[in-house]
Amino acid sequence: MSATRSIVTGGGGAKTPRSRKKVEPIYYLFLFPAVILFTLAITVPGIIGIFFSFTDSIGIGEWEFIGFTNYIAAFSDPAILTSFLFTFGFALVTVILVNVIAFLLAVGLTAKIRFKMGLRAIFVIPMVVSGIIIAYVFAFLFQNSLPAAGSALGIPFLETSIIANPDLAWVGIVIVTAWQSIPGTLLIYIAGILSIPGDVYEAASIDGANKRQQLLRITLPLVAGYVVINVILGFKNYLNAYDIIIGLTNGGPGTSTRSIAMTIIRGFQTGDYAYQMATATLFFIITIIIAVLQLSVTRGRSNI
Amino acid sequence: MSRRKTGALRAAAGALGLALVGAALTGCSSGGAETVHFTFNKREAITFMEQTVADYNASQSDYRVVMDTSGVDPISASFVRGNPPDIMLANYNHEVSRFVQRCVLEDLSETEPASRIRDDFQPLLDQFGTCPGRTTALPYSVMAASVIYNKTIFEENDLEVPTTWSELIEVGDTLKANDIVPFYGTFADAWTVNQGWFDYSVGGAIDVQSFYDKMAEQGTEVGPNSEVSFQKDFLEPIEKMQLLASEYTQPNAGSRAYDVGNVAFANGEAAMYMQGPWALSQIELTNPDLEIGTFPLPMTEDPADLKVRVNMDLVTMIPEEASNKEGAFDFLDYLFQPDIIQAYNESQLGFVPTEDGTAPDDPRVEGMIPYYDAGAFYQGPGILNPRAIPTENYAQALALGTNAENLLRTMDADWARIAFRQPAISSEEGN
Repeated sequence: MSATRSIVTGGGGAKTPRSRKKVEPIYYLFLFPAVILFTLAITVPGIIGIFFSFTDSIGIGEWEFIGFTNYIAAFSDPAILTSFLFTFGFALVTVILVNVIAFLLAVGLTAKIRFKMGLRAIFVIPMVVSGIIIAYVFAFLFQNSLPAAGSALGIPFLETSIIANPDLAWVGIVIVTAWQSIPGTLLIYIAGILSIPGDVYEAASIDGANKRQQLLRITLPLVAGYVVINVILGFKNYLNAYDIIIGLTNGGPGTSTRSIAMTIIRGFQTGDYAYQMATATLFFIITIIIAVLQLSVTRGRSNI
Repeated sequence: MSRRKTGALRAAAGALGLALVGAALTGCSSGGAETVHFTFNKREAITFMEQTVADYNASQSDYRVVMDTSGVDPISASFVRGNPPDIMLANYNHEVSRFVQRCVLEDLSETEPASRIRDDFQPLLDQFGTCPGRTTALPYSVMAASVIYNKTIFEENDLEVPTTWSELIEVGDTLKANDIVPFYGTFADAWTVNQGWFDYSVGGAIDVQSFYDKMAEQGTEVGPNSEVSFQKDFLEPIEKMQLLASEYTQPNAGSRAYDVGNVAFANGEAAMYMQGPWALSQIELTNPDLEIGTFPLPMTEDPADLKVRVNMDLVTMIPEEASNKEGAFDFLDYLFQPDIIQAYNESQLGFVPTEDGTAPDDPRVEGMIPYYDAGAFYQGPGILNPRAIPTENYAQALALGTNAENLLRTMDADWARIAFRQPAISSEEGN
């Protein structure tokens, strides 16, 4: 809010000179390549895609307009509806889990502890490994190592692989996704916590606040902006979940872990172009609604 | 100064030369031989086909065949651009059949090879859709698949190859009583369930061909009250499959993948394995001495119902927009010369689809030859279902014990929904 206000006042103050002076053409030059590329690679194909969602095209050959038929079919298609349900549920659970763990880790890693730097480096390692590799490694762990350990130790719960269980496979995907994305979130939290000036804590401890009160009353409110960033970025990433699911369960067992991105891409691979274009359009509209909601909820909460 | 100039000139000339070579490679080659673009991407057979192409190029001087192994997706893109290959040899499935359905391929019915192809394959090809009045895809290699079994384990336990469902259960019970796993399950890989367990069970029990013809006729009407439906016709075989999958496999079947299964079967960890002939070469890598046989999965009490699963592993197609059709037809004739088509299929354990072809001489596929020769075969429902139905995932869920009635009802609803939104295609499928 204050940022917006300052821009407005700044603009008001400089009004007279700016309206007379021409804007430096160099600014347009900076923007030009990006705008052209974005238009060619994202906007134009996007509009073409939305156009084709109203046809029966399979990607090649002739096609006809069929109006909203694809959309009507999509709304009664359990494969699409459950993939939406799965993806949003998964994104919600993962975003909460990742942020809680990353925040607590960040608090720990910014405290005065030994081997701080070494520990930070270790915690960041998962970030540099590609998602598909992580997924294949964890698939092996879930399918072979854990069941072997389970039967050796006599823990019946571990003896069957959780990613072979249609009701629990999503838990495996949440675990692996969280494992991979906690470091990125953690780094942002560490930066946030380090940016809090030390004298605030000093003042708090003089006033008699204990560590827990400092955490809840000072650290948490002062990193609120970073929480917003992490939640928005994380949620966006998890809605696009693809590579980890491919490597871990490939949408299975059955159809229990098919994400929206997977459903759409499968459609393209199987000559179901127009139909999955309709799904993609629906997904686009829903994410826009979410983005607008997120913006309106977070606006004013932070200066980011 | 002048030296630098010549350097620049030379660089420019070099670039021009490269561009010319590139143009020559894509267009006509300089030697007078016209280039024929040939698409082929069956990974296991690329070395063999490279040799065939080299032999052809050496045998004549009019055409020079260039082989492209990049796969189906680039081919689709090349059709969209109006620049398709001149001749294709590809696995026949719903993706490739789009070219047939949309009539973008040459009619091959008048060619000499077409007259030699066995008649009973055309209905199988037509199940994927047709272009009325044209024969656009000629089968080149047919793969037959059925249950793979370990002959040594069968002999040690005095077991005969079962020919009825109750004999199969007896075999399974005997093996279990002797602490041998009857079937090795690799349910972690959904496709393995689809092409083996699901296809063999349904194909062994019902008439797949007429089932799908009727399904296509019914279109949006498919449901609990239609004449044929997944929930009615598939239920019994699927429940039998679920019995085999739950009672006659190793305990961790749900978390075992294809590669693990090949090694385990090669090491004698189970007596039977539901995989196609492609697994044979993988098993051979681990244990070259293993004695292997094949038999069709018995699903009824009548041995006359036994059938093997086939798929059109390779078909030949020539696009209408091919730039060098004469060359393509010439190479087509060459590929279908009896000794060449025979040698190719021999090398891949495939069956020759021509009248005069002979079956591969290999004990591992011996058990399927009588059924193939008699025309007792079917195409798997797993590949006949429209690709928009996630059949692989459904088959996996069924093998892991999902309620069959519910799932088959979902499949019926999926079918009706596709017929609703793509009426043109599903009616073409009925032709």
